[in-house]
Amino acid sequence: MNPTNEAIQLDAARALVNALEAGDKTESASQLALLTQTQESDLFHQVGKLTRELHEALSNFNLDNRLADLTEKDMPNTRERLNYVIRTTEEAAHKTLSYIDKTLPLASELKQTAEKINASWHRFRMREMTADEFRSMSKEIESYLPEVTNHSDQIHANLSEMMLAQGFQDLTGQVISQVINLVEEVEDNLVRLIKVSGKPQEHKNKDKEKVDPIKAEGPQINQENNVNVVNNQDEVDDLLSSLGF
Amino acid sequence: MKILIVDDFSTMRRIIKNLLRDLGFNNTVEADDGLTALPILQAGGIDFLVTDWNMPGMQGIDLLKTVRADEKLSSLPVLMVTAETKREQIITAAQAGVNGYIVKPFTAATLKEKIDKIFERIEAQ
Repeated sequence: MNPTNEAIQLDAARALVNALEAGDKTESASQLALLTQTQESDLFHQVGKLTRELHEALSNFNLDNRLADLTEKDMPNTRERLNYVIRTTEEAAHKTLSYIDKTLPLASELKQTAEKINASWHRFRMREMTADEFRSMSKEIESYLPEVTNHSDQIHANLSEMMLAQGFQDLTGQVISQVINLVEEVEDNLVRLIKVSGKPQEHKNKDKEKVDPIKAEGPQINQENNVNVVNNQDEVDDLLSSLGF
Repeated sequence: MKILIVDDFSTMRRIIKNLLRDLGFNNTVEADDGLTALPILQAGGIDFLVTDWNMPGMQGIDLLKTVRADEKLSSLPVLMVTAETKREQIITAAQAGVNGYIVKPFTAATLKEKIDKIFERIEAQ
């Protein structure tokens, strides 16, 4: 009840008591009517407010067709995104495992030869070695040292490839963040849907989404089907050189 | 040669840092977006900037534009390493004055090639 109404009602109530005590029927009837009227106006005010709120909630909801968009467009897109995550993590895991498969034999080979030479060296130090055996050990050492260099280079290269393969975490992380945003948006829209308990109506003047051509989008999921997207580093280089780079 | 690596994913920063170390660049610093990169750049001493595009806070393209608009930093070589592959984006980056553009996932050879090219151009100037 607003303060003005309250004051009017208080005045009317006092006047009503006075009129009743004075036995003035006309005056008491008019004050009673005034009291009821202010009471009603307060009720109308409240109902009006509720109606306006409901109307705003409904029209806001109708204006926002995001839920329909989310279902039609973003959900299938999310499925593709999640498939991209599976594919990318699978590729990275296989790539890493393959390089491990290539690296382990190199390490074992180095170890086995070193153990063999070590045993011979021990026998030499104990003076248990014949001259022929010594010559054979010298040959082994001679061929082993360059092998250590070659194998180490190869191990280094393989480890670098394994390291690069970990880039999947960045790529899939970007995609998963987008999916989280989408899930939050769906949740938000569903909560609003439950709040207004209304059916979204077809909105005729669908707002044209403003598209920012350089908005960051993370990894492209279907880049082969999109002419606006480059597919590899060569295409980036071609595009840049066409710009005079 | 001090290099600043800007990427919001720590794994990618680590990968780039390790690859740069293999190429002989041992002095690197890291930042996780444009906003944290700027004070490091403005403090001086950075000779080369490697940045991602898509980051929270300030994106790589805005960092590039800010660098080019800053009198002290305008000639800093900037290499973009990003998953953003739209043509408009590459053109925008080129127009904003990027020195090299590498798309993720990339190879160690590509990183070396682009860095070499940037330095060749700087030396030729």
